[in-house]
Amino acid sequence: MSAPLRIALPQGTIFDETTAALAAIGLPVAGLTGHRKLVVRDGGIEYVLTRPSDVPTYVAHGAADVGITGRDVLMESDEEVLELVDLGFGVCQFVVAAPAGSLHRSLDEYQHLGSLEVATKYPRVAQRHFDRRGIQVEIIKLGGAVELAPQVGLADWIVDLTSTGRTLRENDLAVVEEIATCSARLIANRASYARDRQRIAELASKLETWARARPASR
Amino acid sequence: MATFDTYGYVPLEPPSVEFAAAAATVPEQRMMRFLDQGNLLALRPDVTTAIARVVAQRYREARGALRLSYFTTVFRQERSMRGSEREYDQAGIELIGASGALADAEALALLCEALTAVGLRSFTIEVGHVGAVRALFAGLPADELETVLGHLRDADHVAAFRAAEAGGLSADRLSRARTGLAARGRDIEEVDLPEALELREAIHLARELFAGEPLWGTPDLAVIPALPYYTGVVFEAVSPHVGSPIAMGGRYDGLLTDRPATGFGIAVPHLHQALVAEGWSLPRTEPVVTLDGGSPRDVARMAAALRREGLTVALAPPAETAGRAVVGVRVLDEKKVEHGGRALTPAELARELRGGS
Repeated sequence: MSAPLRIALPQGTIFDETTAALAAIGLPVAGLTGHRKLVVRDGGIEYVLTRPSDVPTYVAHGAADVGITGRDVLMESDEEVLELVDLGFGVCQFVVAAPAGSLHRSLDEYQHLGSLEVATKYPRVAQRHFDRRGIQVEIIKLGGAVELAPQVGLADWIVDLTSTGRTLRENDLAVVEEIATCSARLIANRASYARDRQRIAELASKLETWARARPASR
Repeated sequence: MATFDTYGYVPLEPPSVEFAAAAATVPEQRMMRFLDQGNLLALRPDVTTAIARVVAQRYREARGALRLSYFTTVFRQERSMRGSEREYDQAGIELIGASGALADAEALALLCEALTAVGLRSFTIEVGHVGAVRALFAGLPADELETVLGHLRDADHVAAFRAAEAGGLSADRLSRARTGLAARGRDIEEVDLPEALELREAIHLARELFAGEPLWGTPDLAVIPALPYYTGVVFEAVSPHVGSPIAMGGRYDGLLTDRPATGFGIAVPHLHQALVAEGWSLPRTEPVVTLDGGSPRDVARMAAALRREGLTVALAPPAETAGRAVVGVRVLDEKKVEHGGRALTPAELARELRGGS
Protein backbone atom coordinates (compact mmCIF):
# COMPACT_ATOMS: atom_id res chain seq x y z
CA MET A 1 0.00 0.00 0.00
CA SER A 2 2.33 2.72 -1.23
CA ALA A 3 -0.33 5.21 -2.39
CA PRO A 4 -0.38 8.31 -0.19
CA LEU A 5 -3.14 8.76 2.35
CA ARG A 6 -5.23 11.63 1.01
CA ILE A 7 -6.58 14.04 3.62
CA ALA A 8 -9.15 16.74 2.76
CA LEU A 9 -8.67 19.88 4.86
CA PRO A 10 -11.09 22.79 5.22
CA GLN A 11 -9.76 26.17 4.18
CA GLY A 12 -11.44 28.74 6.39
CA THR A 13 -12.04 29.43 10.04
CA ILE A 14 -10.90 26.08 11.41
CA PHE A 15 -7.88 25.68 9.10
CA ASP A 16 -5.32 26.89 11.65
CA GLU A 17 -6.66 24.71 14.43
CA THR A 18 -6.76 21.77 12.03
CA THR A 19 -3.12 22.12 11.02
CA ALA A 20 -2.17 22.63 14.68
CA ALA A 21 -3.90 19.35 15.56
CA LEU A 22 -2.16 17.50 12.74
CA ALA A 23 1.20 18.98 13.74
CA ALA A 24 0.58 17.96 17.36
CA ILE A 25 0.26 14.29 16.39
CA GLY A 26 3.40 14.45 14.27
CA LEU A 27 2.16 14.92 10.72
CA PRO A 28 4.14 17.14 8.36
CA VAL A 29 2.25 20.43 7.87
CA ALA A 30 5.02 22.88 6.98
CA GLY A 31 4.17 22.72 3.25
CA LEU A 32 0.53 23.70 3.77
CA THR A 33 0.91 27.45 3.93
CA GLY A 34 2.60 30.23 2.01
CA HIS A 35 1.37 29.32 -1.49
CA ARG A 36 -1.82 28.73 -3.40
CA LYS A 37 -1.46 25.09 -4.33
CA LEU A 38 -4.53 22.98 -3.56
CA VAL A 39 -2.86 19.57 -3.54
CA VAL A 40 0.17 19.27 -1.28
CA ARG A 41 2.22 16.07 -1.11
CA ASP A 42 4.44 15.44 1.88
CA GLY A 43 5.91 11.98 2.29
CA GLY A 44 3.12 9.44 2.73
CA ILE A 45 0.43 12.12 3.00
CA GLU A 46 -1.33 14.12 0.33
CA TYR A 47 -3.40 17.09 1.51
CA VAL A 48 -6.33 18.36 -0.53
CA LEU A 49 -7.38 21.91 0.38
CA THR A 50 -11.09 22.47 -0.19
CA ARG A 51 -13.96 24.59 1.04
CA PRO A 52 -15.21 23.28 4.39
CA SER A 53 -18.62 22.45 2.92
CA ASP A 54 -16.99 20.36 0.16
CA VAL A 55 -14.93 18.16 2.49
CA PRO A 56 -17.74 15.56 2.96
CA THR A 57 -18.27 15.40 -0.81
CA TYR A 58 -14.60 14.65 -1.51
CA VAL A 59 -14.56 12.00 1.21
CA ALA A 60 -17.90 10.38 0.32
CA HIS A 61 -16.80 9.89 -3.28
CA GLY A 62 -13.42 8.54 -2.26
CA ALA A 63 -11.53 11.45 -3.83
CA ALA A 64 -10.01 11.84 -0.36
CA ASP A 65 -9.60 8.96 2.13
CA VAL A 66 -10.20 11.04 5.25
CA GLY A 67 -11.10 14.63 5.99
CA ILE A 68 -11.61 17.16 8.74
CA THR A 69 -14.65 19.39 8.85
CA GLY A 70 -17.32 20.70 11.21
CA ARG A 71 -20.26 18.62 12.40
CA ASP A 72 -22.44 21.52 11.17
CA VAL A 73 -21.21 20.90 7.62
CA LEU A 74 -21.87 17.16 7.96
CA MET A 75 -25.43 17.76 9.19
CA GLU A 76 -26.22 19.97 6.22
CA SER A 77 -24.46 17.80 3.62
CA ASP A 78 -26.09 14.43 4.37
CA GLU A 79 -23.21 12.64 2.64
CA GLU A 80 -22.48 9.06 3.65
CA VAL A 81 -19.15 9.16 5.48
CA LEU A 82 -17.77 7.54 8.64
CA GLU A 83 -17.56 9.93 11.57
CA LEU A 84 -14.58 8.75 13.59
CA VAL A 85 -13.33 11.37 16.07
CA ASP A 86 -14.67 14.50 17.75
CA LEU A 87 -11.70 16.87 17.63
CA GLY A 88 -13.25 19.28 20.11
CA PHE A 89 -12.36 22.56 18.39
CA GLY A 90 -14.46 24.84 16.18
CA VAL A 91 -17.33 24.61 18.65
CA CYS A 92 -20.55 26.31 17.60
CA GLN A 93 -24.31 25.88 17.97
CA PHE A 94 -27.13 25.56 15.52
CA VAL A 95 -29.88 27.72 17.01
CA VAL A 96 -33.36 28.94 16.21
CA ALA A 97 -33.50 32.69 16.87
CA ALA A 98 -36.25 35.31 16.78
CA PRO A 99 -36.38 39.10 17.27
CA ALA A 100 -35.97 39.66 21.01
CA GLY A 101 -39.29 40.46 22.60
CA SER A 102 -41.51 39.41 19.74
CA LEU A 103 -41.50 35.69 20.37
CA HIS A 104 -45.09 35.75 21.62
CA ARG A 105 -46.27 37.73 18.67
CA SER A 106 -44.75 35.30 16.20
CA LEU A 107 -46.29 32.35 18.04
CA ASP A 108 -49.70 34.10 17.92
CA GLU A 109 -49.19 34.63 14.26
CA TYR A 110 -48.27 30.98 13.87
CA GLN A 111 -51.57 29.97 15.48
CA HIS A 112 -53.48 32.19 13.10
CA LEU A 113 -51.57 31.59 9.88
CA GLY A 114 -50.47 28.02 10.50
CA SER A 115 -46.95 28.55 9.29
CA LEU A 116 -43.80 30.48 10.12
CA GLU A 117 -41.18 31.78 7.73
CA VAL A 118 -37.65 30.78 8.62
CA ALA A 119 -34.60 32.22 6.88
CA THR A 120 -31.40 30.17 6.92
CA LYS A 121 -28.21 29.21 5.14
CA TYR A 122 -28.81 25.62 6.26
CA PRO A 123 -32.18 24.55 4.80
CA ARG A 124 -31.79 20.81 5.51
CA VAL A 125 -30.84 21.25 9.14
CA ALA A 126 -33.71 23.71 9.59
CA GLN A 127 -36.31 21.56 7.84
CA ARG A 128 -35.29 18.42 9.72
CA HIS A 129 -35.44 20.24 13.05
CA PHE A 130 -38.93 21.66 12.53
CA ASP A 131 -40.21 18.37 11.11
CA ARG A 132 -39.07 16.66 14.29
CA ARG A 133 -40.70 19.33 16.44
CA GLY A 134 -43.91 19.12 14.41
CA ILE A 135 -43.92 22.82 13.54
CA GLN A 136 -44.91 23.81 10.03
CA VAL A 137 -42.48 26.29 8.51
CA GLU A 138 -41.60 27.77 5.17
CA ILE A 139 -37.83 27.73 4.70
CA ILE A 140 -36.26 30.71 2.92
CA LYS A 141 -32.73 29.90 1.80
CA LEU A 142 -30.23 32.75 1.99
CA GLY A 143 -26.55 32.91 1.13
CA GLY A 144 -25.48 34.68 4.32
CA ALA A 145 -26.16 37.57 6.75
CA VAL A 146 -29.27 35.69 7.83
CA GLU A 147 -29.71 37.85 10.97
CA LEU A 148 -30.86 40.62 8.65
CA ALA A 149 -33.97 38.77 7.49
CA PRO A 150 -36.26 39.32 10.53
CA GLN A 151 -35.33 43.01 10.76
CA VAL A 152 -36.61 43.76 7.29
CA GLY A 153 -39.62 41.47 7.42
CA LEU A 154 -38.30 38.73 5.18
CA ALA A 155 -38.79 36.02 7.81
CA ASP A 156 -40.17 35.50 11.31
CA TRP A 157 -37.32 33.37 12.62
CA ILE A 158 -33.86 32.30 11.57
CA VAL A 159 -31.80 29.14 11.93
CA ASP A 160 -28.12 29.96 12.13
CA LEU A 161 -24.75 28.96 13.54
CA THR A 162 -23.44 30.89 16.48
CA SER A 163 -20.33 30.53 18.60
CA THR A 164 -20.40 33.50 20.97
CA GLY A 165 -23.92 34.82 20.31
CA ARG A 166 -22.56 38.28 19.66
CA THR A 167 -23.94 38.71 16.14
CA LEU A 168 -27.37 37.64 17.38
CA ARG A 169 -27.31 40.14 20.27
CA GLU A 170 -26.12 42.99 18.11
CA ASN A 171 -29.01 42.40 15.74
CA ASP A 172 -31.54 42.17 18.56
CA LEU A 173 -32.18 38.47 18.18
CA ALA A 174 -32.73 36.00 20.98
CA VAL A 175 -32.22 32.26 20.96
CA VAL A 176 -35.55 30.37 20.89
CA GLU A 177 -33.94 26.97 21.12
CA GLU A 178 -30.71 25.13 20.47
CA ILE A 179 -30.71 22.53 17.72
CA ALA A 180 -27.28 20.99 18.15
CA THR A 181 -23.77 21.69 19.34
CA CYS A 182 -21.17 21.12 16.66
CA SER A 183 -17.41 20.74 16.57
CA ALA A 184 -14.77 19.54 14.14
CA ARG A 185 -14.78 15.85 13.19
CA LEU A 186 -12.39 13.42 11.57
CA ILE A 187 -14.33 11.65 8.84
CA ALA A 188 -13.37 8.76 6.55
CA ASN A 189 -14.49 7.18 3.33
CA ARG A 190 -15.98 3.74 4.06
CA ALA A 191 -14.00 1.87 1.42
CA SER A 192 -10.78 3.66 2.40
CA TYR A 193 -11.39 2.80 6.04
CA ALA A 194 -11.50 -0.87 5.09
CA ARG A 195 -8.51 -1.01 2.82
CA ASP A 196 -6.24 1.44 4.63
CA ARG A 197 -7.31 0.54 8.17
CA GLN A 198 -3.91 0.63 9.79
CA ARG A 199 -3.07 4.20 8.80
CA ILE A 200 -6.56 5.59 9.34
CA ALA A 201 -7.15 3.85 12.68
CA GLU A 202 -3.75 5.07 13.87
CA LEU A 203 -4.57 8.62 12.79
CA ALA A 204 -7.97 8.37 14.53
CA SER A 205 -6.58 7.02 17.77
CA LYS A 206 -3.81 9.66 17.92
CA LEU A 207 -6.32 12.44 17.29
CA GLU A 208 -8.72 10.95 19.85
CA THR A 209 -5.96 10.94 22.47
CA TRP A 210 -4.93 14.47 21.51
CA ALA A 211 -8.54 15.78 21.70
CA ARG A 212 -9.14 14.17 25.09
CA ALA A 213 -5.93 15.57 26.55
CA ARG A 214 -6.84 19.14 25.63
CA PRO A 215 -8.57 21.33 28.21
CA ALA A 216 -12.25 20.59 27.65
CA SER A 217 -13.90 23.10 25.38
CA ARG A 218 -16.97 21.03 24.63
CA MET B 1 -25.32 -15.12 -13.33
CA ALA B 2 -23.58 -18.19 -14.75
CA THR B 3 -21.54 -18.44 -11.55
CA PHE B 4 -24.72 -18.18 -9.47
CA ASP B 5 -26.05 -21.09 -11.55
CA THR B 6 -23.14 -23.36 -10.67
CA TYR B 7 -24.04 -23.03 -6.99
CA GLY B 8 -27.62 -24.12 -7.74
CA TYR B 9 -29.32 -20.70 -7.64
CA VAL B 10 -32.45 -20.18 -9.72
CA PRO B 11 -33.29 -16.76 -11.16
CA LEU B 12 -36.27 -14.86 -9.77
CA GLU B 13 -37.68 -11.51 -10.87
CA PRO B 14 -39.36 -9.83 -7.90
CA PRO B 15 -42.16 -7.28 -8.47
CA SER B 16 -40.79 -3.82 -9.20
CA VAL B 17 -43.71 -1.96 -7.62
CA GLU B 18 -44.65 -2.37 -3.96
CA PHE B 19 -46.91 -0.72 -1.43
CA ALA B 20 -44.83 2.10 0.03
CA ALA B 21 -45.71 1.11 3.59
CA ALA B 22 -44.41 -2.43 2.98
CA ALA B 23 -41.04 -1.25 1.69
CA ALA B 24 -40.40 0.46 4.99
CA THR B 25 -36.82 -0.74 5.55
CA VAL B 26 -35.62 2.21 3.45
CA PRO B 27 -36.24 5.77 4.71
CA GLU B 28 -39.30 7.12 2.92
CA GLN B 29 -37.52 10.13 1.46
CA ARG B 30 -35.14 7.71 -0.29
CA MET B 31 -37.99 5.89 -2.09
CA MET B 32 -39.53 6.84 -5.43
CA ARG B 33 -43.19 6.99 -4.53
CA PHE B 34 -46.33 7.66 -6.51
CA LEU B 35 -50.09 7.39 -6.14
CA ASP B 36 -52.17 4.82 -7.96
CA GLN B 37 -55.93 4.75 -7.34
CA GLY B 38 -55.41 6.18 -3.89
CA ASN B 39 -52.67 3.71 -2.93
CA LEU B 40 -49.21 5.02 -2.19
CA LEU B 41 -46.82 2.82 -4.15
CA ALA B 42 -43.04 2.76 -4.36
CA LEU B 43 -40.58 1.57 -6.96
CA ARG B 44 -38.55 -1.26 -5.42
CA PRO B 45 -35.84 0.42 -3.32
CA ASP B 46 -34.22 -2.81 -2.11
CA VAL B 47 -34.26 -6.28 -3.66
CA THR B 48 -33.83 -8.32 -0.49
CA THR B 49 -37.10 -7.18 1.08
CA ALA B 50 -38.92 -7.61 -2.25
CA ILE B 51 -37.68 -11.20 -2.52
CA ALA B 52 -38.45 -11.89 1.13
CA ARG B 53 -42.04 -10.87 0.44
CA VAL B 54 -42.29 -13.17 -2.58
CA VAL B 55 -40.86 -16.03 -0.53
CA ALA B 56 -43.25 -15.40 2.37
CA GLN B 57 -46.20 -15.62 -0.03
CA ARG B 58 -45.26 -18.23 -2.63
CA TYR B 59 -42.91 -20.51 -0.76
CA ARG B 60 -44.64 -20.51 2.60
CA GLU B 61 -44.90 -24.29 2.63
CA ALA B 62 -41.50 -24.98 1.06
CA ARG B 63 -39.19 -27.11 3.17
CA GLY B 64 -35.43 -26.89 2.96
CA ALA B 65 -33.26 -24.14 1.56
CA LEU B 66 -34.23 -21.81 -1.29
CA ARG B 67 -31.45 -20.53 -3.53
CA LEU B 68 -32.57 -17.52 -5.57
CA SER B 69 -30.62 -15.18 -7.83
CA TYR B 70 -31.52 -11.92 -9.55
CA PHE B 71 -30.19 -9.30 -11.93
CA THR B 72 -32.55 -6.38 -11.74
CA THR B 73 -32.96 -2.66 -11.17
CA VAL B 74 -33.44 -0.82 -7.89
CA PHE B 75 -34.67 2.73 -7.48
CA ARG B 76 -33.44 5.23 -4.92
CA GLN B 77 -34.37 8.86 -4.59
CA GLU B 78 -31.09 10.80 -4.58
CA ARG B 79 -30.75 14.54 -4.35
CA SER B 80 -29.79 16.12 -7.63
CA MET B 81 -26.23 17.08 -8.53
CA ARG B 82 -24.57 14.54 -6.30
CA GLY B 83 -23.19 12.32 -9.02
CA SER B 84 -25.27 9.33 -8.00
CA GLU B 85 -27.79 7.32 -9.95
CA ARG B 86 -31.45 6.92 -9.10
CA GLU B 87 -31.95 3.75 -11.10
CA TYR B 88 -29.23 1.13 -11.25
CA ASP B 89 -28.71 -2.57 -11.81
CA GLN B 90 -28.08 -4.88 -8.93
CA ALA B 91 -27.07 -8.53 -9.22
CA GLY B 92 -27.20 -10.88 -6.29
CA ILE B 93 -28.44 -13.96 -4.51
CA GLU B 94 -30.53 -14.87 -1.49
CA LEU B 95 -30.04 -18.14 0.40
CA ILE B 96 -33.17 -18.64 2.45
CA GLY B 97 -33.75 -21.36 5.03
CA ALA B 98 -30.11 -22.18 5.74
CA SER B 99 -28.12 -21.13 8.77
CA GLY B 100 -24.71 -21.89 10.20
CA ALA B 101 -21.15 -21.28 9.13
CA LEU B 102 -21.45 -23.29 5.91
CA ALA B 103 -24.35 -21.14 4.64
CA ASP B 104 -22.48 -17.91 5.48
CA ALA B 105 -19.41 -19.33 3.76
CA GLU B 106 -21.44 -20.21 0.67
CA ALA B 107 -22.60 -16.60 0.24
CA LEU B 108 -19.05 -15.31 0.77
CA ALA B 109 -17.48 -17.79 -1.63
CA LEU B 110 -20.10 -17.16 -4.28
CA LEU B 111 -19.51 -13.39 -4.13
CA CYS B 112 -15.75 -13.83 -4.42
CA GLU B 113 -16.10 -16.35 -7.27
CA ALA B 114 -18.61 -14.17 -9.18
CA LEU B 115 -16.38 -11.06 -8.95
CA THR B 116 -13.38 -13.12 -10.05
CA ALA B 117 -15.40 -14.59 -12.93
CA VAL B 118 -16.21 -11.16 -14.39
CA GLY B 119 -12.49 -10.37 -14.38
CA LEU B 120 -12.13 -8.14 -11.30
CA ARG B 121 -8.56 -8.47 -10.06
CA SER B 122 -7.86 -6.25 -7.07
CA PHE B 123 -10.56 -6.31 -4.42
CA THR B 124 -10.95 -7.35 -0.81
CA ILE B 125 -13.93 -8.88 0.92
CA GLU B 126 -14.40 -7.39 4.37
CA VAL B 127 -16.28 -9.64 6.76
CA GLY B 128 -17.98 -8.31 9.88
CA HIS B 129 -20.55 -9.59 12.36
CA VAL B 130 -23.49 -7.52 13.59
CA GLY B 131 -23.88 -9.90 16.54
CA ALA B 132 -20.27 -9.29 17.57
CA VAL B 133 -20.80 -5.52 17.46
CA ARG B 134 -23.91 -5.97 19.61
CA ALA B 135 -21.87 -8.07 22.04
CA LEU B 136 -19.16 -5.39 22.25
CA PHE B 137 -21.79 -3.06 23.71
CA ALA B 138 -23.46 -5.71 25.89
CA GLY B 139 -24.28 -4.39 29.35
CA LEU B 140 -26.15 -1.38 28.03
CA PRO B 141 -29.91 -1.27 28.67
CA ALA B 142 -31.90 -2.43 25.61
CA ASP B 143 -33.01 1.06 24.50
CA GLU B 144 -29.54 2.55 24.76
CA LEU B 145 -28.08 -0.43 22.88
CA GLU B 146 -30.48 0.22 19.99
CA THR B 147 -29.52 3.92 19.99
CA VAL B 148 -25.84 2.99 19.77
CA LEU B 149 -26.48 0.51 16.94
CA GLY B 150 -28.57 3.12 15.11
CA HIS B 151 -25.65 5.58 15.20
CA LEU B 152 -23.28 2.85 14.01
CA ARG B 153 -25.57 2.05 11.07
CA ASP B 154 -25.41 5.78 10.23
CA ALA B 155 -21.60 5.44 10.36
CA ASP B 156 -21.45 7.98 13.20
CA HIS B 157 -18.93 6.45 15.61
CA VAL B 158 -18.62 9.69 17.58
CA ALA B 159 -22.33 9.73 18.49
CA ALA B 160 -22.32 5.96 19.11
CA PHE B 161 -19.54 6.08 21.69
CA ARG B 162 -21.03 9.18 23.28
CA ALA B 163 -24.39 7.40 23.64
CA ALA B 164 -22.65 4.32 25.04
CA GLU B 165 -20.83 6.45 27.60
CA ALA B 166 -24.04 8.25 28.56
CA GLY B 167 -25.79 4.87 28.80
CA GLY B 168 -23.36 3.85 31.51
CA LEU B 169 -20.91 1.54 29.71
CA SER B 170 -17.76 1.27 31.85
CA ALA B 171 -14.53 2.86 30.64
CA ASP B 172 -13.06 -0.62 30.36
CA ARG B 173 -15.78 -1.87 28.05
CA LEU B 174 -15.78 1.38 26.07
CA SER B 175 -12.13 0.99 25.25
CA ARG B 176 -12.71 -2.69 24.42
CA ALA B 177 -15.51 -1.68 22.03
CA ARG B 178 -13.27 0.97 20.47
CA THR B 179 -10.47 -1.53 19.80
CA GLY B 180 -12.95 -4.13 18.59
CA LEU B 181 -14.57 -1.83 16.05
CA ALA B 182 -11.18 -0.84 14.64
CA ALA B 183 -9.98 -4.49 14.51
CA ARG B 184 -9.23 -5.71 11.02
CA GLY B 185 -7.38 -8.80 9.81
CA ARG B 186 -5.31 -10.61 12.43
CA ASP B 187 -6.35 -8.13 15.12
CA ILE B 188 -9.68 -9.96 15.26
CA GLU B 189 -7.90 -12.71 17.22
CA GLU B 190 -7.72 -10.24 20.12
CA VAL B 191 -11.51 -9.91 20.17
CA ASP B 192 -12.67 -12.41 22.74
CA LEU B 193 -16.23 -13.17 21.59
CA PRO B 194 -17.92 -16.35 20.33
CA GLU B 195 -19.23 -14.30 17.37
CA ALA B 196 -15.67 -13.47 16.32
CA LEU B 197 -14.95 -17.21 16.16
CA GLU B 198 -18.10 -17.71 14.08
CA LEU B 199 -16.87 -15.07 11.65
CA ARG B 200 -13.44 -16.66 11.31
CA GLU B 201 -15.00 -20.10 10.82
CA ALA B 202 -17.15 -18.71 7.97
CA ILE B 203 -14.08 -17.24 6.26
CA HIS B 204 -12.11 -20.49 6.60
CA LEU B 205 -14.95 -22.52 5.08
CA ALA B 206 -15.44 -19.97 2.29
CA ARG B 207 -11.77 -20.33 1.34
CA GLU B 208 -12.33 -24.10 1.08
CA LEU B 209 -15.34 -23.54 -1.21
CA PHE B 210 -13.48 -21.15 -3.48
CA ALA B 211 -9.69 -21.07 -3.46
CA GLY B 212 -9.21 -17.72 -5.27
CA GLU B 213 -6.40 -15.53 -4.03
CA PRO B 214 -4.55 -16.97 -1.07
CA LEU B 215 -6.13 -15.80 2.20
CA TRP B 216 -8.97 -13.79 0.65
CA GLY B 217 -11.57 -12.55 3.10
CA THR B 218 -10.57 -10.08 5.82
CA PRO B 219 -12.25 -9.96 9.24
CA ASP B 220 -13.40 -6.38 9.85
CA LEU B 221 -15.92 -5.53 12.57
CA ALA B 222 -16.41 -2.01 11.19
CA VAL B 223 -18.60 -3.49 8.44
CA ILE B 224 -22.05 -2.46 9.65
CA PRO B 225 -24.72 -2.21 6.92
CA ALA B 226 -27.08 0.78 6.95
CA LEU B 227 -30.20 -1.38 6.62
CA PRO B 228 -31.48 -2.57 10.00
CA TYR B 229 -32.43 -6.16 9.24
CA TYR B 230 -28.96 -7.73 9.37
CA THR B 231 -28.21 -10.01 12.34
CA GLY B 232 -25.03 -12.08 11.91
CA VAL B 233 -22.09 -12.36 9.54
CA VAL B 234 -22.10 -9.38 7.13
CA PHE B 235 -19.66 -8.49 4.37
CA GLU B 236 -18.78 -6.05 1.63
CA ALA B 237 -16.47 -6.11 -1.38
CA VAL B 238 -14.14 -3.14 -1.73
CA SER B 239 -12.05 -2.11 -4.73
CA PRO B 240 -9.10 0.28 -4.40
CA HIS B 241 -10.52 2.26 -7.32
CA VAL B 242 -14.08 2.96 -6.12
CA GLY B 243 -15.17 5.08 -3.17
CA SER B 244 -18.18 2.93 -2.25
CA PRO B 245 -18.38 -0.82 -1.67
CA ILE B 246 -18.99 -2.81 -4.87
CA ALA B 247 -21.14 -5.38 -3.15
CA MET B 248 -22.65 -5.92 0.27
CA GLY B 249 -24.67 -8.52 2.04
CA GLY B 250 -24.95 -10.77 5.05
CA ARG B 251 -27.19 -12.71 7.35
CA TYR B 252 -30.66 -11.30 7.95
CA ASP B 253 -32.46 -13.76 10.20
CA GLY B 254 -34.75 -10.99 11.40
CA LEU B 255 -36.55 -10.24 8.13
CA LEU B 256 -38.43 -13.51 7.56
CA THR B 257 -39.86 -14.38 10.92
CA ASP B 258 -39.37 -18.13 10.91
CA ARG B 259 -36.50 -18.55 8.46
CA PRO B 260 -32.81 -17.84 8.62
CA ALA B 261 -31.41 -16.21 5.49
CA THR B 262 -28.31 -14.67 3.96
CA GLY B 263 -27.47 -13.08 0.62
CA PHE B 264 -25.72 -10.25 -1.15
CA GLY B 265 -26.18 -7.67 -3.87
CA ILE B 266 -23.56 -6.39 -6.31
CA ALA B 267 -23.98 -2.74 -7.36
CA VAL B 268 -23.35 -3.20 -11.07
CA PRO B 269 -22.34 0.45 -11.82
CA HIS B 270 -19.70 0.36 -9.07
CA LEU B 271 -18.40 -2.99 -10.33
CA HIS B 272 -18.19 -1.54 -13.82
CA GLN B 273 -16.31 1.50 -12.52
CA ALA B 274 -13.79 -0.77 -10.79
CA LEU B 275 -13.33 -2.93 -13.90
CA VAL B 276 -12.77 0.10 -16.13
CA ALA B 277 -10.26 1.53 -13.64
CA GLU B 278 -8.35 -1.77 -13.85
CA GLY B 279 -8.07 -1.34 -17.62
CA TRP B 280 -10.82 -3.75 -18.58
CA SER B 281 -12.38 -3.38 -22.02
CA LEU B 282 -15.09 -5.24 -23.90
CA PRO B 283 -13.92 -8.74 -24.71
CA ARG B 284 -12.81 -9.02 -28.34
CA THR B 285 -15.72 -10.24 -30.41
CA GLU B 286 -16.19 -11.19 -34.03
CA PRO B 287 -16.75 -8.34 -36.46
CA VAL B 288 -20.08 -7.30 -37.93
CA VAL B 289 -20.26 -8.00 -41.69
CA THR B 290 -22.18 -5.42 -43.74
CA LEU B 291 -23.32 -6.02 -47.30
CA ASP B 292 -23.10 -3.61 -50.20
CA GLY B 293 -24.12 -3.87 -53.90
CA GLY B 294 -26.01 -6.73 -55.56
CA SER B 295 -29.74 -7.14 -56.11
CA PRO B 296 -32.02 -7.20 -53.06
CA ARG B 297 -32.63 -10.92 -53.63
CA ASP B 298 -28.88 -11.72 -53.79
CA VAL B 299 -28.27 -9.63 -50.66
CA ALA B 300 -31.03 -11.46 -48.77
CA ARG B 301 -29.73 -14.91 -49.80
CA MET B 302 -26.12 -13.97 -49.07
CA ALA B 303 -27.06 -12.64 -45.61
CA ALA B 304 -28.80 -15.93 -44.79
CA ALA B 305 -25.82 -17.95 -46.09
CA LEU B 306 -23.30 -15.92 -44.06
CA ARG B 307 -25.40 -16.27 -40.91
CA ARG B 308 -25.50 -20.05 -41.45
CA GLU B 309 -21.69 -19.86 -41.31
CA GLY B 310 -22.04 -18.30 -37.90
CA LEU B 311 -21.19 -14.72 -38.89
CA THR B 312 -22.96 -11.61 -37.61
CA VAL B 313 -24.51 -9.79 -40.57
CA ALA B 314 -26.11 -6.34 -40.71
CA LEU B 315 -27.67 -5.38 -44.03
CA ALA B 316 -26.40 -1.79 -43.95
CA PRO B 317 -23.52 -0.24 -41.96
CA PRO B 318 -24.91 0.11 -38.41
CA ALA B 319 -24.77 3.51 -36.71
CA GLU B 320 -23.86 1.92 -33.37
CA THR B 321 -21.65 -1.16 -33.08
CA ALA B 322 -20.87 -1.21 -29.34
CA GLY B 323 -17.16 -1.31 -30.10
CA ARG B 324 -17.24 -4.19 -32.63
CA ALA B 325 -15.27 -3.95 -35.84
CA VAL B 326 -17.24 -3.56 -39.08
CA VAL B 327 -16.18 -5.43 -42.25
CA GLY B 328 -17.85 -4.19 -45.44
CA VAL B 329 -18.09 -6.69 -48.33
CA ARG B 330 -19.59 -6.35 -51.85
CA VAL B 331 -22.19 -8.87 -52.95
CA LEU B 332 -21.19 -10.19 -56.42
CA ASP B 333 -24.00 -12.72 -56.90
CA GLU B 334 -25.96 -15.08 -54.66
CA LYS B 335 -22.91 -17.37 -54.21
CA LYS B 336 -19.94 -15.01 -53.92
CA VAL B 337 -18.85 -11.81 -52.16
CA GLU B 338 -15.84 -9.60 -52.81
CA HIS B 339 -13.50 -9.05 -49.86
CA GLY B 340 -9.98 -7.66 -50.09
CA GLY B 341 -10.06 -7.78 -53.88
CA ARG B 342 -10.96 -11.50 -54.04
CA ALA B 343 -14.21 -13.34 -54.73
CA LEU B 344 -15.06 -15.63 -51.80
CA THR B 345 -17.80 -18.11 -50.94
CA PRO B 346 -19.57 -17.63 -47.56
CA ALA B 347 -17.51 -20.46 -46.03
CA GLU B 348 -14.24 -18.96 -47.30
CA LEU B 349 -15.16 -15.52 -45.93
CA ALA B 350 -15.97 -17.00 -42.51
CA ARG B 351 -12.63 -18.84 -42.40
CA GLU B 352 -10.76 -15.70 -43.47
CA LEU B 353 -12.38 -13.47 -40.84
CA ARG B 354 -11.83 -15.99 -38.04
CA GLY B 355 -8.24 -16.76 -39.07
CA GLY B 356 -7.38 -13.12 -39.38
CA SER B 357 -8.35 -11.98 -35.91
